[in-house]
Amino acid sequence: MGATPNGFNLDSTGKRIVVDPVTRIEGHMRCEVNVDEQGIIRNAVSTGTMWRGLEVILKGRDPRDAWAFTERICGVCTGTHALTSVRAVEDALGITIPNNANSIRNIMQLNLEIHDHVVHFYHLHALDWVNPINALKADPKATSELQQIVSPSHPMSSPGYFRDVQNRLKAFVESGQLGLFKNGYWDNPAYLLPPEADLMATTHYLEALDLQKEIVKIHTIFGGKNPHPNWLVGGVPCPINVDGTGSVGAINMERLNMVSSIIDKCMEFNKNVYIPDVVAIGGFYKNWLYGGGLSGKSVMAYGDIPENPNDFSAENLYLPRGAIINGNLNEVHDVDQRDPEQVQEFVDHSWYTYGEPGKGLHPWDGVTEPKYELGPNAKGTRTNIIELDEAAKYSWIKAPRWKGHAMEVGPLARYVVGYAKGHEDIKNQVDGLLRTMNLPLTALFSTLGRTAARALESEYCGRLQKHFFDKLVQTIKNGDSTTANVEKWDPKTWPKEAKGVGATEAPRGALGHWIKIKDGRIENYQCVVPTTWNGSPRDVAGNIGAFEASLMDTKMERPEEPVEILRTLHSFDPCLACSTH
Amino acid sequence: MSQIETFYEVMRRQGITRRSFMKYCSLTAAALGLGPAFVPKIAHAMATKPRTPVIWVHGLECTCCSESFIRSAHPLAKDVVLSMISLDYDDTLMAAAGFQAEAALMDTIEKYKGNYILAVEGNPPLNEDGMYCIVGGKPFVEQLKMAAEHAKAIISWGACASYGCVQAAAPNPTRATPVHKVILDKPIIKVPGCPPIAEVMTGVITYMLTFDKMPELDRQGRPKMFYSQRIHDKCYRRPHFDAGQFIEHWDDDNARKGYCLYKMGCKGPTTYNACSTVRWNEGTSFPIQSGHGCIGCSEDGFWDQGSFYNRLTNIKQFGIEENADRVGMTAAGVVGGAVAVHAAISALKRAQKKNQEKVEG
Amino acid sequence: MTNVTTEAPTLRGVQADPEDLSSASRQTSVYVYEAPVRIWHWINAAAILTLMVTGYFIGSPLPTMGTGEAYDQFVFGYIRFVHFAAGMILTVGFFGRIYWAFVGNHHSRQLFYFPFWSGEYWREVLYEVRWYLFLAKEPKKYVGHNPLAQLAMFFFITLGVSFMIITGMALYAEGAGQGSIFDTLFGWVLGLVQNSQRLHTLHHLGMWWIVVFMVVHIYVAVREDIMSRQSIVSTMISGHRTFKDDRPD
Ligand code: HEM
Ligand code: HEM
Ligand code: NFV
Ligand code: SF4
Ligand code: SF4
Ligand code: F3S
Ligand SMILES: [Mg+2]
Repeated sequence: MGATPNGFNLDSTGKRIVVDPVTRIEGHMRCEVNVDEQGIIRNAVSTGTMWRGLEVILKGRDPRDAWAFTERICGVCTGTHALTSVRAVEDALGITIPNNANSIRNIMQLNLEIHDHVVHFYHLHALDWVNPINALKADPKATSELQQIVSPSHPMSSPGYFRDVQNRLKAFVESGQLGLFKNGYWDNPAYLLPPEADLMATTHYLEALDLQKEIVKIHTIFGGKNPHPNWLVGGVPCPINVDGTGSVGAINMERLNMVSSIIDKCMEFNKNVYIPDVVAIGGFYKNWLYGGGLSGKSVMAYGDIPENPNDFSAENLYLPRGAIINGNLNEVHDVDQRDPEQVQEFVDHSWYTYGEPGKGLHPWDGVTEPKYELGPNAKGTRTNIIELDEAAKYSWIKAPRWKGHAMEVGPLARYVVGYAKGHEDIKNQVDGLLRTMNLPLTALFSTLGRTAARALESEYCGRLQKHFFDKLVQTIKNGDSTTANVEKWDPKTWPKEAKGVGATEAPRGALGHWIKIKDGRIENYQCVVPTTWNGSPRDVAGNIGAFEASLMDTKMERPEEPVEILRTLHSFDPCLACSTH
Repeated sequence: MSQIETFYEVMRRQGITRRSFMKYCSLTAAALGLGPAFVPKIAHAMATKPRTPVIWVHGLECTCCSESFIRSAHPLAKDVVLSMISLDYDDTLMAAAGFQAEAALMDTIEKYKGNYILAVEGNPPLNEDGMYCIVGGKPFVEQLKMAAEHAKAIISWGACASYGCVQAAAPNPTRATPVHKVILDKPIIKVPGCPPIAEVMTGVITYMLTFDKMPELDRQGRPKMFYSQRIHDKCYRRPHFDAGQFIEHWDDDNARKGYCLYKMGCKGPTTYNACSTVRWNEGTSFPIQSGHGCIGCSEDGFWDQGSFYNRLTNIKQFGIEENADRVGMTAAGVVGGAVAVHAAISALKRAQKKNQEKVEG
Repeated sequence: MTNVTTEAPTLRGVQADPEDLSSASRQTSVYVYEAPVRIWHWINAAAILTLMVTGYFIGSPLPTMGTGEAYDQFVFGYIRFVHFAAGMILTVGFFGRIYWAFVGNHHSRQLFYFPFWSGEYWREVLYEVRWYLFLAKEPKKYVGHNPLAQLAMFFFITLGVSFMIITGMALYAEGAGQGSIFDTLFGWVLGLVQNSQRLHTLHHLGMWWIVVFMVVHIYVAVREDIMSRQSIVSTMISGHRTFKDDRPD
């Protein structure tokens, strides 16, 4: 098979291992790899196995409704598509939003990042590193000591606390009904933690489960519910009324106090639990540095969290924008979503057709036309796939490329771009972590690096959330309670034709929605989503996507038990409903 | 609902001896890396009443039903999963993947035939032989049917499983189909909403465990305890509705006073759900309380009732921008115009006739 | 009923019985619409007008009114109350009218059917259409409804009002709540039309169906009063049909 243009050596002669379903992700995904006699992955194929057709469904609808449709692309990164959508519509129609709306939207988006990161780490990713069954062997007292070393200021650290959790866990295991832990890989030598660390992390699995339902209440306050809070073209739907008649029914002091206390809780958890856990667990896996993939080569971020409303220039964004190619950290390219030459999607290996092979389309001109077919070398049948043929079409995910390059997006991409650009907060965090763990910068380009970047980002987002909360209060104090601009609410005020783009940094990476409006209706709507980038299949030139690249050259302890595959795939936090939409 | 058999009873029924059962227990303990001390404990647990097994499958969906579920405050999601049910298969949360995950599924179906609850999130697409949603290389609809065959009851989580939801919105490219149209021979409890409220989800499950029976359902198959009234029937803004006090524009004075959202397109009057009473996220708020109208997310076909911001539904059949009033006024206008013309001609004719009569007369 | 004795004038209205036929002359007035029919007609007309106005405002409310606290005013509540009250009157009246169809004279039955299988009937409809298209020189005489009117009454009133009652009651049942008598009787409608939003839309469209009838109905009533050979409007007041000439047919 040989080398890909983006620098990976593929060899599919070894034993083919299939993982389907890939679990502890959002949506449906399949992964196939070839391993050589040493159990090392020499070829990787990742497949998105669902498609719903949101882009088709959106055609002809009211652009003001699009946020609600696109929000349902994903209930995990809930709200981020809605934000991207209202930005795209506002961009197309030239609608500006008030200062308060900008602060509230930022708080909601940051809140999502934190929630998503925490749930991902504890509930989707942790079991790749942590063995809850092994936790039964732990000494609660030693666990308590470990907790106090790892995080001296975390209040829940007494031996009794850990003993209680352990007893509960014991009762659960002894019931013989293992539920979610059933058939796990608990005796696989890939698990390296001592029982005390396992008990500590398992305890935090439960703590985080309790906490996450608190985090999202910020969405509930501003958007009425979570998952799937409400958004509005032109601002936010929640009015502010801190002291007038009827303020009990609006954003008032009680609501603001609740938001503020949740922000504090998030910051505390990040500081006392999340980051310390990543450091502690990471410490035991320090030598497992697989999974870099594209992260050290090609990464991209759109940037997000504007300080001032309606200004999406890179200098106005707290999360960095830029692209790095071929591992050259000294040069950060700017990214322009409007440039027809930059972002393009290809479908040569995806179950779609453009009618013409090898073609890339900029999303404004994007086409979504399904075409399901298996390649000649696939094994099995159309409705019972045994092995895929990656030389042909093999995924419901399209292949987006930036100037022809397959890119990795996500927290690590953002942190690499930020680091390369000298983003002060990011640089401090990264350098600090590497110093604590006594690791070189290159260690960042790995499965663990991805997981660590997510934790650092969660912490950073907490601080930003606080900043925007203070800003919101300050603006209200200055006498401005406006939350929506309705000047162009009525479609009669719109131009006959318009097009726009909305970009955000979703928890999993760069997210863009491109819209074309004609006669007050959606003419074309295209989403290119973080997991579309990361989960991308091959392109016509043979470049493999970020998931595939990251699996390459990983050593599997037991090829029939896909712990390592899960570990690395999970480090991206794959969201398949997002990826294909 | 019938009692769940214990694990031991099931094994005995299948002709497995006590001796092999004990062996199974020690193998389990060994597989988990636990010492022989655990063997009698596991055996004891398996011979007493088990937690109800739940198989939770996922079709075309956005997973927000799962996300909602884990937000439950009373009971806490962890208590449900650790102490009330046995969530034996859920691809979003389970440790095992691939073959081991599929084995966990088969194992539960085998051992608890007729005694497990099947929870379905999302729905199966039927176009393209079902391959718009693939699990284990096969169409999801096959997994659904297989798991449904021996289920005691099925819970359709959310608008997806209950009605089709967003992927079934026109033109429904994948032919996403609600569960009750694919599984015809099982009791199905629809718990609609996009997503349903967390405490409604856990409420339905705990009701079944506590009272050992199916919840009473309404005509559409939804538990009456949460879906028998509209948002509007218990909306705290209802006095403003009755008073005729409406928000006329986003963020106007009326919005800041918390007037009724009817004119902003609120679908509370046409939506059956518990939002205005149970509220969301431990009673923190609900859409209307936070200033946006209800979009009707627990209703069948809510995506295709026109814009969420229109009080009157758009009617596609009459062209893109029409609602009942515009259709009606147009019809009435045309008829009125025709009447006017007709009246004019009639008057003319009559005048003619009179003239003629005069001439003749 | 087209078997007419040879002595009688050859008035061929399909709905005319021998008695009608023998009396259809200028001099004689025929008692067509009995008091219950007339009373119903005007109550029904008033109810429908009320329902239209209130119904329209239920769909598209007036600008926010009043500055007082919500408990001080009940504007929208009253609009809805009047709608429901008129709806109940309409419904009761309609059932009363159905009852009268059984016990009243044969004209009282015309509203509820049309002789679909009678070729004669369709020929007369055609004639009536030609008259309205100015193709026939003269209208025919009818003791009861003219055949075209009968057709219109059936589709717009019998079916139209039934539709409005069924959908209206189904909407009302939603407010009355599950388990209420309204829900028991009409709750099934909701499931049939998929959701409540659609039920509203159908009910709303039904209004315009009836508006269309009303526009034509009132116009035609006045027109025919002037141009036809018989009394029209006064008939719905006095009940008596009188004719303007002695010619048969
Ligand atoms: C010719 C007869 C009727 C007409 C023209 C009429 C008209 C209307 C209209 C236009 C609406 C507003 C629909 C919308 O856009 O949501 C409405 C609502 C309604 N009508 Fe009627 N209606 C009629 C008969 C009835 C009857 C017989 C009932 C039975 C009680 C009834 C009960 C209702 C109810 C309950 C509503 C909903 C009120 C609400 O949502 O607040 N209607 N009607
Ligand atoms: C100013 C208003 C109206 C006038 C002058 C009027 C007049 C009349 C007249 C003259 C007839 C008898 C037709 C004939 O001799 O064949 C009639 C019948 C009828 N009209 Fe009206 N009408 C009015 C309003 C309405 C309204 C608003 C409705 C309901 C939408 C209505 C419904 C009916 C019905 C159902 C009949 C048939 C009665 C039966 O056979 O029981 N009318 N009307
Ligand atoms: N990929 C993806 Fe999302 C995210 N983050 C969205 O844009 O997860 Ni559901
Ligand atoms: S019903 Fe709604 S919330 Fe639930 S999975 Fe479907 S789209 Fe998501
Ligand atoms: S806000 Fe919506 S649900 Fe509440 S009273 Fe008004 S219309 Fe009804
Ligand atoms: S939009 Fe859905 S969340 Fe409740 S208030 Fe309406 S049913
Ligand atoms: Mg797309």
